[in-house]
Amino acid sequence: MTPTLHILLAICLAPALALVLLLIPSRARSLREALAVVAATANLGLVATTFGQQSRIELPWLGTSFDLSLRVYHTASFVTTAAAGFGLLVTLYSLPFMRKHSAHGAHYALMLLSLGMANGAVFSNNLLLLLFFWEGLLGTTYGMIAIGHAGAFKTATKALIISGITDLCLMLGIALVWAQAHTLTMTNLRLPLEGMAPAAFVLLMIGAISKGGSMPFHSWIPDAAVDAPTPFMAFLPASIEKLLGIYLLSRLALDLFELTPQSWLSTLMMVVGSVTILLAVLMALIQKDYKRLLSFHAVSQVGYMILGIGTAVPIGIVGGLFHMINHAMYKSCLFLTGGAVERQAGSTDLASLGGIGRKMPITFACFIVAAASISGVPPFNGFFSKELVYDGALERGTIFYLVAVAGSFLTAASFLKLGHAAFLGPRDKKNDGVREAPGAMLFPMLVIAGFCIFFGVNNAFPIDQLIVPMLPEHLIAEARSAGTHFSGWPSNPTLVAMTAAALLGALINHGFGVKLYGSGLHAADHIHDSPGLRWVYDRAERRWFDPYELFMRGSAYFAQAANKIDRANDWLVVGLGRLAQFASRGVRAAHTGNTSAYIVWSLIAATFIVIYLGQ
Amino acid sequence: MTEPSLILAAILIPSLGALLLPLIGAASKRARNAIAALLVLGALAANVALMPSVFGSSQIVEASLVGLRLVADRLAVFVGATSSLISLIIVIYSFDYIEHYDHQNEYYLMVVLFLGSMMGLVFSGNLILLFIFWELTAIASWRLIGYFRKESDVLRANKAFLVTVFGALLMLLGFVMLWSATGSFDLAEIKSHLSGSPISDVALVLILVGILSKSATLPFHTWLPDAGVAPSPVTSLLHAAVLVKIGVYVFARLFVVNFAYSNFGHTLVLVLAAASALVSAGAALIETDLKRIIAYSTVSQIAFIFLGLASGTTIGITGALLYILMHGLAKGGLFLCAGIVEHQTHTKDITRLGGLRHQMPITALSFLLCALSVMGVPPLGGFFSKAMVIMGAADAGRPWIAATFVVGAIFTILYLFRVFNRVFLGESASGAHPREGSRTMVGSVAALTVLSLVAGVAINWPGKLAELAVTQMLGVVK
Repeated sequence: MTPTLHILLAICLAPALALVLLLIPSRARSLREALAVVAATANLGLVATTFGQQSRIELPWLGTSFDLSLRVYHTASFVTTAAAGFGLLVTLYSLPFMRKHSAHGAHYALMLLSLGMANGAVFSNNLLLLLFFWEGLLGTTYGMIAIGHAGAFKTATKALIISGITDLCLMLGIALVWAQAHTLTMTNLRLPLEGMAPAAFVLLMIGAISKGGSMPFHSWIPDAAVDAPTPFMAFLPASIEKLLGIYLLSRLALDLFELTPQSWLSTLMMVVGSVTILLAVLMALIQKDYKRLLSFHAVSQVGYMILGIGTAVPIGIVGGLFHMINHAMYKSCLFLTGGAVERQAGSTDLASLGGIGRKMPITFACFIVAAASISGVPPFNGFFSKELVYDGALERGTIFYLVAVAGSFLTAASFLKLGHAAFLGPRDKKNDGVREAPGAMLFPMLVIAGFCIFFGVNNAFPIDQLIVPMLPEHLIAEARSAGTHFSGWPSNPTLVAMTAAALLGALINHGFGVKLYGSGLHAADHIHDSPGLRWVYDRAERRWFDPYELFMRGSAYFAQAANKIDRANDWLVVGLGRLAQFASRGVRAAHTGNTSAYIVWSLIAATFIVIYLGQ
Repeated sequence: MTEPSLILAAILIPSLGALLLPLIGAASKRARNAIAALLVLGALAANVALMPSVFGSSQIVEASLVGLRLVADRLAVFVGATSSLISLIIVIYSFDYIEHYDHQNEYYLMVVLFLGSMMGLVFSGNLILLFIFWELTAIASWRLIGYFRKESDVLRANKAFLVTVFGALLMLLGFVMLWSATGSFDLAEIKSHLSGSPISDVALVLILVGILSKSATLPFHTWLPDAGVAPSPVTSLLHAAVLVKIGVYVFARLFVVNFAYSNFGHTLVLVLAAASALVSAGAALIETDLKRIIAYSTVSQIAFIFLGLASGTTIGITGALLYILMHGLAKGGLFLCAGIVEHQTHTKDITRLGGLRHQMPITALSFLLCALSVMGVPPLGGFFSKAMVIMGAADAGRPWIAATFVVGAIFTILYLFRVFNRVFLGESASGAHPREGSRTMVGSVAALTVLSLVAGVAINWPGKLAELAVTQMLGVVK
């Protein structure tokens, strides 16, 4: 297979099979499922075999200025293979989960379309082409949420509007890049941060971090957790969108722009990252629904990645990128456990769960591994990536480091609460008949949980083989000369001690909460009810701070103002007509219909003309 | 057929053929319908037949009509082919839509005559000829808007006519000023006489009033939403595919291809376009009448075309040409979908509609895809045109104007999804169970949707045509 054919197949095959899948009647569900699995497997095979290849493909596209320019290189192979892996696992998971769903075919078709678009976005070597695939995900996201239930389209619209706005920011950013550089070929771009470039950077960054699910563009994710089918959450917000968002952010920070640690843009990214970590985890802590709680963590964790890449120092960047892949694993695994609980126990409301750990031991075990990973417990993968981020953050400013550790404390506290409330404690009678999830759902969870352990214990493989080669040469050289080593046990024992203290603190805090309220579900209520925070929490739960709600309110005011201007404009136009009618009234009186009067008028006029010409 | 006769065919087949339609209609309705479609198809075929010679070489085909020059360059053929293609689908849609109403002979006469005058206008190389065809389209659209003949309909038709004719007369004054400065109405002669020096601001503003009133741009736009009382195929034809593009086309013909104008003029056009994009987008968010919302959307989207043309950059102008095509397809589709909804439910009030997705699945999907194209969501064609005009504005050194249009694009998402959600999703508001539209109607809508999709996925074809047209327009290749 030629490289051109190979890469075009990687982009087009899954979407093409998605269209075929839609033609299969709903009676033949098994045929649809088989096709979906085959397509997802083929997709994984196609992208995984690009590893180690280096090639550039230029095909004619939008006139001469914009080629259909694709590039196969390490980063693209890595990101697409990860995405394809999650795609296949979630497809397998969906087999039992989506079996009875009314939009069965649409679910698989949209998943395959999304996989093709994701591959296209990552292999693009032209920013406009990237935007084409990137924005194409708007439609599939909308569809995958909207099929949740009859009212889910409201959340789908919210997701589409928020992502649409940020994608348009991305478009404007690309326009500014074009104005500055007159090329959109990514390998030719290396813009110094002067002139319009910082504005372009911020706009492109908005597009990237919004795809990653960062604040303030996050608020559709918790809503989707409730309304969309659970495989969607594991598929897009937890894994593929994170991979894409952080991929683009790293390209911006590492090679499209000349970003240095001295730049205010680096500080901006770190502030966005830190704020996201802290605020989102505070919201996660008080949630009473399994999936909604997880969704706030999907927001919070992206803060670590933005913080890490934003440090613009090698160790922080490596940490951010490593956290990207780790997060995609443990967060999709967590959502999959959530889906298993939802399917087997019929609810994700923590108040009606509890004590099902014994009934679903494998699910519970996977939950423990993933929860320990996200909380940063050694030796799981999340611990190592977080330590790298901490190291980078500390190099740039203590405050960023402290926020990151505080985030870890709260993350651990909320997962202790979640695990306790869902799997331990007394069991409700109605949950006595709960059984373990079917094998097709357990298999993906087990695979991902296995990777969480493997990437932690043997972190030298992912870091040295997958992550570090993503860095540009000069950063690798910089790290080498400074003697930094990324893999292995963290080099700074103080940081490890701090992390241990934070985790221990979370455990003590949980014990204290359980003692105070007598249940795992309410173990964090003392934080919720603490003076000051309570006021904020109450308003946050009423969506006072939801940027989307604020924006929609503002746009309603704007629309009213625009409507007033429009009506005033119309009044003037119509008024001009009325004025003409009014003015004609005077003339009308002179038109009597009397012929002799008209002759007199004409003679008078003729006299004037003669006099005028005679002069 | 020789190339000059192809130009004449494109103009005369529909405009003269239209006059026969009432006679044929007196004998057979079916024959009249078929011949109406054939006449439009003839115009389309003539345009397509011109393509190889016009796009294949840098040749400009010329012909003459009553001694005045007709010109078929790439711009003209691109716009001519686009307009006649969309008109053809609209005429086919009309077969079922208009079947139950009176005065059908007049309807087909005016629709086909309208397209014929549009063709004449597109190929005019002379300002007087251009003006005559311009006014012919005004007369045809006046009759069509007031087609249902209710008192209020006629008043609105009059409003549309008076506003556009007012603009046209001022434009004629502008033409006369050009004539007194250069001694000719022929575009090529004026161009060579001016030899690159900008035309006077007064003439520019006068001509601009005509263009903006025809293309329904702030502050002369309010006739367009009011004209929604017309039958849906007509609103589709007028608002989306053809009429509003006349002003845009003439702007391109005069101010991109032939005349230079002052920096003041650039700023004026860009600021008016930006204001138009924002105000009408906001107004679309308030309206509750389905067709008025889509009409305001047209006002807003036309501003994007002006943005591309007035940016003066290659990429912006290419984007603007693509915008003419993509917007025509998608907006035509939206209006025809609205027509099906109106035809089957007898209401245009979106607060009284809901849940139609179940009864009208194909219409709903077509509406969604056309709406996504208007919003500029890939893989639909609207994505490319929108991205390119925004890039053009940034490239022209006007990032703030570009940002304003991005805000306009955000509102496009808001108001189109507001409509889609209200009409097609949620619960049925009235409890009635309307049925899907007729096969011809749904088929026409689906055809426009598929074309929007194909134009996006296979962007290299329309993109190549637009690029070739722009190189010729800017005189890169002689």
